[in-house]
Amino acid sequence: MRRVAIVGYAQTQHQFDMDKTREDMVFEVVKEALLDAGISREEVDTVITSSSDFLDGRTISSVFLSMAAGAYLKDESKAEEDGTSAVWYAFMKILAGTHDVALVEAHTQASTFNPHLVSFYTLDPLFDRQVGLLNDIAAAAIQARMYMSAYGVSEEEIARVAVKNLLNAAKNPNAHRKIPDVTVEEVLSSKLYYHPIRELMMSPLSDGACALVLASEEKARKITDNPVWIEGVGCCQDFYLRDRDLLKLGSLEKAARDAYEMAGVRDPLTELDLFEVSEKFAHEELMIYEALGLCRRGKGKILLEKGLTEKDGEIPVNPSGGALGADPVCATGLVRIVEAAKQIRGEADGYQVSGVRKALAHGQFGICAQKNWVFILGGER
Amino acid sequence: MSEEKVIRYGFPFVARFEWSVGFLMERFIKSLVDKKILAAKCPSCGYTYVPPRSRCGKCYAQLGETNLVELSGKGKLVGYTIAHVELDGSGNFRDLEKPRVIGAIKLEGADSTIFMPLEEVDPKEVKEGMEVEVKWRDEMKGPVDFAFRPVR
Repeated sequence: MRRVAIVGYAQTQHQFDMDKTREDMVFEVVKEALLDAGISREEVDTVITSSSDFLDGRTISSVFLSMAAGAYLKDESKAEEDGTSAVWYAFMKILAGTHDVALVEAHTQASTFNPHLVSFYTLDPLFDRQVGLLNDIAAAAIQARMYMSAYGVSEEEIARVAVKNLLNAAKNPNAHRKIPDVTVEEVLSSKLYYHPIRELMMSPLSDGACALVLASEEKARKITDNPVWIEGVGCCQDFYLRDRDLLKLGSLEKAARDAYEMAGVRDPLTELDLFEVSEKFAHEELMIYEALGLCRRGKGKILLEKGLTEKDGEIPVNPSGGALGADPVCATGLVRIVEAAKQIRGEADGYQVSGVRKALAHGQFGICAQKNWVFILGGER
Repeated sequence: MSEEKVIRYGFPFVARFEWSVGFLMERFIKSLVDKKILAAKCPSCGYTYVPPRSRCGKCYAQLGETNLVELSGKGKLVGYTIAHVELDGSGNFRDLEKPRVIGAIKLEGADSTIFMPLEEVDPKEVKEGMEVEVKWRDEMKGPVDFAFRPVR
């Protein structure tokens, strides 16, 4: 099988209420990723963008993006949902041998339209939407309470996830929500939406974009001497909300198993050096530890309590601040891939973890993380 | 670059969608008027869907009208949240005057969980595992308008 490497990347400084147009934002991030790879627009032979028609407020959300992404007169396509799905697609195009260099771009400007209302529109229109009260935050709150009572987890313990990630975000120049002196008390006194979920326990509404350049092994060797290899991939879709066990992230478990198998990872705890995950709500990060096989079900809080998942811990999770630090919806999972690659290349200025050779990146989409993507990335040995 | 923000311009997008509800959902909606909750039990694996579905998501068997079963309207609260805000329909959250309880309810005889308002209870008194029952509206405000309350 061919090997595929990440050879360049860029992301915006995520923020709310960006002055730049969507097109300028995408143009700049794509240009920066190509500069980072040191290749020209002409060398890219397939362009895959990721956005959502509802979030961008236009049908065919990629309209006007072909210019911004340098896709005119090229193989161009769009993957909806999270940017990690576009990477999966680009990876396959290169594996198939039809393309050698792919550009992946993902973005959302959450200030255009509230993503929580878009999530509401993903519910069954004939039943759940008729009831009216349910939305992605309410569903996550129900899940958080179920998880808390099944495994004896307190609100303070959930708030500690937010504190860990927000303290990390404060050191990441691209992060959106930076509160360098955030405390558990501050998280627990932030605005209550759906109990126990408060403002600082959910991801912020961010405007932002991210771009990635992928290349076949042959091309990658010519482009860079510091490639980051895609060693394993897994993607899995769970049942609709009504028919799912909310106490676990079942589709993430399966996606992780597939990615581990492809990458030849037997024990993620000892073989992986770093994890970048898309926790849209603080409690999800504990459930993600469990789904990734880092601890037994219900024991996520112990990893956190012992400081193992802190930036300087044994198994650092989200040294970038994760989705709680910035959530430009469709770009959020792609940002996780970029953050993991950055750590492998030793380019995470100000928040670099030492000795990262192999890392995991995770993207999700849908209410209560219905769909999940897992990537295992590795540097040159 | 000036310090002032570039202007933002917005306009509403109004669309009315119309879907066929399908045969089983039509029976479900019509039965609500007669204060009955219908579910569909998969003839192949036995998983019981409420509201009914015409195709089993677990084993992909087809479900038809002969697979409809009537539920008692009683169930168990398997989870809940207390809502302090709601979406206002144009993309903002507005504060609720009084907090409302949204329950995750497993109805007797059903395998799916439904997410419905839980009423006639002080949010502080709500407990996971509580027995609940359907509370019909005197006047339904839409095709699917009912709630639950604790069994007393």
